Amino acid sequence: MNDAAAGIVVRNVSKTFRRAKETTGVQALHAVSLDIKPNTFVSLVGPSGCGKTTLLRMLNGLIHPDEGEILVGGVPPVPGPHMGFVFQSFRLMPWRTIRDNVSFTVELSGMDAKERADRADKYLDMVGLRRFADAFPNELSGGMKQRAALARALIAEPRYLLMDEPFASLDAQTREFMQIELMKIWQHHKSIVVFVTHSVDEAVVLSDQIVLLRPRPGEVAEVLDVDLPHPRWDYDVRERHEFVTMRRHLWERIKDMVAADPQSEFYMRGAKTEPIRGAEE
Amino acid sequence: MAAQEDQIHPIVQRRPRIGPRLSQININVWRVLVFFLLLGVWWLMAVVAGQNFLPTPWQTAQAAVAVVKDGSLLTATRDSLLVFIAGFVLSAAFAIPFGLFMGGFRVFGATIEAYVNALSAMPRVAFIPVIIVFLGLGYEAKIFIVFIGAVMPILINTYAGVLNCDGELVEMARSAGGTDMQIFRKIMLPGALPYITAGLRVGASLALINTVVAELYTAVKGLGGLLSIYGNSFRMAQYFVVVCVLAIIGVAVMQTLKLLEHRMDRWRYRGERT
Ligand SMILES: Nc1ncnc2c1ncn2[C@@H]1O[C@H](COP(=O)(O)OP(=O)(O)OP(=O)(O)O)[C@@H](O)[C@H]1O
Ligand SMILES: [Mg+2]
Repeated sequence: MNDAAAGIVVRNVSKTFRRAKETTGVQALHAVSLDIKPNTFVSLVGPSGCGKTTLLRMLNGLIHPDEGEILVGGVPPVPGPHMGFVFQSFRLMPWRTIRDNVSFTVELSGMDAKERADRADKYLDMVGLRRFADAFPNELSGGMKQRAALARALIAEPRYLLMDEPFASLDAQTREFMQIELMKIWQHHKSIVVFVTHSVDEAVVLSDQIVLLRPRPGEVAEVLDVDLPHPRWDYDVRERHEFVTMRRHLWERIKDMVAADPQSEFYMRGAKTEPIRGAEE
Repeated sequence: MAAQEDQIHPIVQRRPRIGPRLSQININVWRVLVFFLLLGVWWLMAVVAGQNFLPTPWQTAQAAVAVVKDGSLLTATRDSLLVFIAGFVLSAAFAIPFGLFMGGFRVFGATIEAYVNALSAMPRVAFIPVIIVFLGLGYEAKIFIVFIGAVMPILINTYAGVLNCDGELVEMARSAGGTDMQIFRKIMLPGALPYITAGLRVGASLALINTVVAELYTAVKGLGGLLSIYGNSFRMAQYFVVVCVLAIIGVAVMQTLKLLEHRMDRWRYRGERT
């Protein structure tokens, strides 16, 4: 497979959700186009309800666009282990041990039990959960559960990793550790990562490219390239001038969108306040 | 890295426990104490009511020795257990797959559901005369009466368990390429297990009740038969022996099912005891 074919192309995609017996529905996405090159880390940011999750589910192939077309590696997406999906809620099966939760993905594709367990242990090692392989999810903290969910997506060595606010429920400290962990994993195991986040900070730290979406209907407002050198855990990205300007720019735009959105609870509010660092997380 | 990372999360969430931890020794002491208390109350009531109505525990014990010696109690217990177990196992063997099937095929389930509910609301004793016409008065009829008593709660619970499966887990499995069959087996079925075991417990108690009912209405046999014989001839001490045996069977059945449930739901009960 050549490089061009391995990317993700989104062309003019629209999606409207309708309830039965309703003529007008909620337009989640309108004429969205994206071109994601191989081996890039892309973040989707934007106010709540702008269709980030919807786009991610379409990239996975769980739902299909009403109009337009999505090509993943040259073909319309089909759900599968090559498309790792990490959800905001951990979605671990409470009746399975952490090891069996992690190996679930490769179990579906028919790997035999011995190999499965070895692989699970390898990935549990990677996310620092080896000691908890035999524990059940209800015995783990939130951060540990999220790492298990990450390991479950990684175990099939996916070429595409779709992450929906994976660190949203973690405390600030765990979150930074997880970001570094993710950057390291991504460095070793290059793939396309599509990462949804509400945190502008996080988007700038992690991504090569940031896609800013606008709500109601969800549209691409801006695409930014982040030119900070890799690996980014070697230095303090947040001190860099580029980081600060980009962060401020994104934050201003999101704030304007929210303040201009009549359906937002922050409509017409606080357009002039300066963001406190990390306050939007 | 692993060890150092884990130190960031020293807090391990567990299921909240209400009140102090149950200790196995303490709870058994309490159970024995309550047992003697109940015996005391029984004895007091027997003295007050007069032994023509209510035998004392001691008289009951004497009667128990007598009925065990002449073999009638053992034969009756064996008969009843046979009817109970056969009926209950048959109802589970039918209701669990059928309930899963109803849940797995939504159209089928929604169609059948109304009839299942109608049937389960009906007092099933009403069917006994019909059953006797078709199956006679022997074991077949008795087992069938037990079957219809236990089948509905197991069926309805199994169906509800499948319907109440976690949609988020289903989506997770689907996003990883799980087929319908895999999702059913690996997500829906394990998710429905607590419902199924709850259904089995309700079903078991109804099966036991229906065992006695069947023995009273059809050929008078088993423990139900003894109840009817002793009751009609006012042999209250013997009558109470039978009541006690039924209670013991009930406890034993429930305890077995509870053990089974704990074994299957290992994660939920980790660190706790029965
Ligand atoms: N299954 C659905 N049925 C009906 N409407 C839906 C469905 N999924 C999403 N929507 C609607 O589509 C819009 C976009 O939803 P989506 O979940 O993609 O937003 P989001 O950007 O992920 O928001 P958030 O940041 O709050 O997670 C919302 O208005 C939502 O109400
Ligand atoms: Mg979302």
